[in-house]
Amino acid sequence: MEIPRWWYQATMRLRSLFRGATLDRELDEELQFHVDRRVDANLARGLPPEAARREALLAVGGLERRKEECRDARGVRFIDDLLQDLRYAARTLRRAPAFATAAILTLTLGIGATVAMFTVVNGVLVRPLPFPGADRLHLVSLSPKSILMYQPGMMDATFVAFREADTTFQNLAAFTTYRGNLTGAGDPVVITVGQVTTEFFDALAVKPARGRAFLPDDGQEGRELAVVLSDQLWRGRFGSEHAIVGQQITLNGLRRTVVGVMPAELDFPSGAEAWTPHVIQLVAGNSRMFPVLGRLKPGTTVAQARAAFEATIDTLPDVPSREQRSDWTVGILPLKELLVADVRRPLQIFAGAVLLVLLIACANVANLLLARGSAREREIAVRAALGAGRQRLVRQLLTESALLSLTGGTLGILAARWAVPMLLALAPEGRIPRTDMIRIDAPVIAFAIVVALTTGVLFGLAPALRLTRRRFAGTLLPGGRSAVGGQERFRAALVVGQIAVALVLLTGASLMAKSFLRLRAVDPGFRPDNVVRLSVELPPSVYSSPQRLHAFHQSMLARLSALPDVVAAGSVNWLPLGDMHLTGDFRIAGHTRNPRFDVDKPAISPGYFRAMGVRLLRGREFTEHDSVSGLPVAIVSRTVAKAIDPSEDVIGKRVRMWTSAKPEVWQTVIGVVDDVKQLGPTQKSHPAIYQPYPQVSRRSFLSHMTYVIRTSSDPLAAVPAIRSVLRAVDKDQPATAIGLLTDSLARATAEPGFYARLLGAFALLAVLLALVGTYGVIAYAVAQRHHEIGVRMALGARGASVLWLILRRTLVLGAAGVLLGSGAAWLATRLLTTVLFEVTPTDPATFAAVALTVFVASLLAGLIPARRATRVDPLVALRHE
Amino acid sequence: MSRPSDLVQGTLDLLILKILALEPLHGWAIGQRLYQISDNVLQVSDGSLYPALHKLEHEGWIKAEWKPSENNRRAKFYSLTRPGRHHLERETANWDRLSAAISQIVRITEA
Repeated sequence: MEIPRWWYQATMRLRSLFRGATLDRELDEELQFHVDRRVDANLARGLPPEAARREALLAVGGLERRKEECRDARGVRFIDDLLQDLRYAARTLRRAPAFATAAILTLTLGIGATVAMFTVVNGVLVRPLPFPGADRLHLVSLSPKSILMYQPGMMDATFVAFREADTTFQNLAAFTTYRGNLTGAGDPVVITVGQVTTEFFDALAVKPARGRAFLPDDGQEGRELAVVLSDQLWRGRFGSEHAIVGQQITLNGLRRTVVGVMPAELDFPSGAEAWTPHVIQLVAGNSRMFPVLGRLKPGTTVAQARAAFEATIDTLPDVPSREQRSDWTVGILPLKELLVADVRRPLQIFAGAVLLVLLIACANVANLLLARGSAREREIAVRAALGAGRQRLVRQLLTESALLSLTGGTLGILAARWAVPMLLALAPEGRIPRTDMIRIDAPVIAFAIVVALTTGVLFGLAPALRLTRRRFAGTLLPGGRSAVGGQERFRAALVVGQIAVALVLLTGASLMAKSFLRLRAVDPGFRPDNVVRLSVELPPSVYSSPQRLHAFHQSMLARLSALPDVVAAGSVNWLPLGDMHLTGDFRIAGHTRNPRFDVDKPAISPGYFRAMGVRLLRGREFTEHDSVSGLPVAIVSRTVAKAIDPSEDVIGKRVRMWTSAKPEVWQTVIGVVDDVKQLGPTQKSHPAIYQPYPQVSRRSFLSHMTYVIRTSSDPLAAVPAIRSVLRAVDKDQPATAIGLLTDSLARATAEPGFYARLLGAFALLAVLLALVGTYGVIAYAVAQRHHEIGVRMALGARGASVLWLILRRTLVLGAAGVLLGSGAAWLATRLLTTVLFEVTPTDPATFAAVALTVFVASLLAGLIPARRATRVDPLVALRHE
Repeated sequence: MSRPSDLVQGTLDLLILKILALEPLHGWAIGQRLYQISDNVLQVSDGSLYPALHKLEHEGWIKAEWKPSENNRRAKFYSLTRPGRHHLERETANWDRLSAAISQIVRITEA
């Protein structure tokens, strides 16, 4: 086998790097050999020995120069120098441990935070979805922009027509999830089930690990009883049984046949543990919308697909006119959008914030380097005097800062390894999507190295250039000092910049905090303390008629009310802060026009308002007598009452909704309650018309029910008893959710709280670093002016005037930083608009408070060195010279 | 003494490779051999020979070995590597083309 060329080259490189001394010795020997032969030859030509020797050396042209040339030929000069610089840098840093520790610690904080944040951003926003050819997967959306449409989607009829007409997508599939009740495989359990059209798995290009995926036939009506299991469910609930394909499982009371098991990697739609075919029923009134995903044909660009979609839209059914469409999400979006749309803006804000922190850290280290540089002036002057070029000196200094930043970077990666899980643990559960993609991998480490090297140059270059620009002559004289003016200005500019950037961050964090506090103070319209909530989803296979559903609810309520410590128990089909609600229009008897707003239409049991703590403003609650056979009644919320009659005195008035049992029948208003924040504290209060659930007959209004139980003592203690009530009524029904209402409310505010805390932590770090920077500059100035201060005091200056001398400088720096920062913050905080609640991004009170705080803090940072200046002993200061 | 020291950069490399293709030699002998086989026309200066040798070694075209020399002293003998031999073939072909072209031009100007 032939030895390749690179092998020879690599061997040589390695020898040059690590066996340099041996090579040099060999070079000596080789050249010596040559010279000796030349001398022999000269002697043979008859030259006298002395001349023969001289001539030989002349011929070679100076042995040392030749050696140097031969060394250069090795081509590793650069690396040699680098190693030498590194060794020198390491030695220098070891000799200044306080400086090295401060610089490395600052960098570790800055780089660590940056790397941690980037790890999250990379995992959530950047890394591709784990599907083959994920860049060809897109969402096709034709849906109204509304807070109710969590996801862009399409109506069933539109989807079917589009699938027919489209030519740009290889596969198109509609999908959604529902909560399914799995029975007969251990304890009953609620699982997340993906409801998908049969093209779904082909579109994702995912092959089943066992059995098959869905066939077109599985999506035909009446044939939809197939199910595909996730690997997790198959292992967890079916003991990894090999013969699972062909077996039957019971999901929501329906017997379904397992046709396949998916590989463990598949987690889409997020959290899906099984998949069932989505059967599209093209019947009138089907207004359901589901997300639609498509895989582009190979070679088709998004632009082409977009153009084709635009061209088709108007031929599709159930599509709004062009004018109406401005409020719609129409188009082709990356599939990732489905998962990350909500978190993109916050993540961008945090990434920006963390970079600002890094910037401040850089400025701090630059300041440290400058201060240290002044102490090293002599050393540098000596090296320059000995012939080191400026370029060489700058390179040496940059090597030093690179060594600092790479050490900081390495420690930063370690810090991030610890910070990322902490960050994820602090984040409200389920709010950061794609957490499984978040890890410190090769791109993250590459990013960290790039950041470290960039910061190294960023904070190292300016000081290096400044330090080597000096005229060195004066520096070498005993007691010599160089002019400091230019450098002083530069350091002052750094500090002003630091204060400004820190102020921007603190303003942002304060706005978020204020917004969070506002949010916490919101009155949701009910009293959530001491309330347990328990939700069930009753499957149509068992609870097929309204009568059966009524019976279940009645039995539950009777038993729950009888529990000890229970003050009140009630039920509602769509609980406030839940993930579902239903709105619609209504009519008022005697009014010619429909009211302009839609209302929520909850069906509730007697006792619901008492259990929830919703204030009854007028009239009465529902009772057992408001039954199927009784007078159709309704309770309206305050906004509805106002719409009926501005006096809100509406008892006895009548309203009508198409969802009631007999749409032609008017319902009589018997009570008025407060409006409730149905969708959480950040949203508007919702007007509602409540109906007694026995008077509601639509199955879908009754199958999902939440019981709310108000207790007189610790609500958690009541949870086991409440669970056993459910078991007693129907042992096959699991609770789809059980917990405290206060937790539900806390969850609704957890996200803004997390954002406020995280940004607050960054801001605090930034302010701290900026203050350290300010302190450093002022302290340095005091040290530099030690002599001057001594003279002034010897001439009779008092402590106060010396204090003022120093403090004046801080004052200027602080004021400049605050002004600059406030201006920058005014521009920057508008980025927060979408995440602020009832606080404008330019809230004057916040701006003023933050500016004042930062200003005072910077003054305090300057006060410490200023006070030290007043204690200068003139005798010591003067003798020092 | 005629001393065409302005050997085109690279020409020296080619000559060294050619000489080493015949047998492994140490630096001194390479210089002597070059002088001999060019009928005492080409003489490489002692100064430029060694950097050229070291460069070729680092490029992987030649390799070195310490062996006793003809006068029984230890000397560094250079020899061609396999890749170096291929390189020489390529460069020789290039040289032939180039020198043919040049001599043609030179003749035209003379005519």
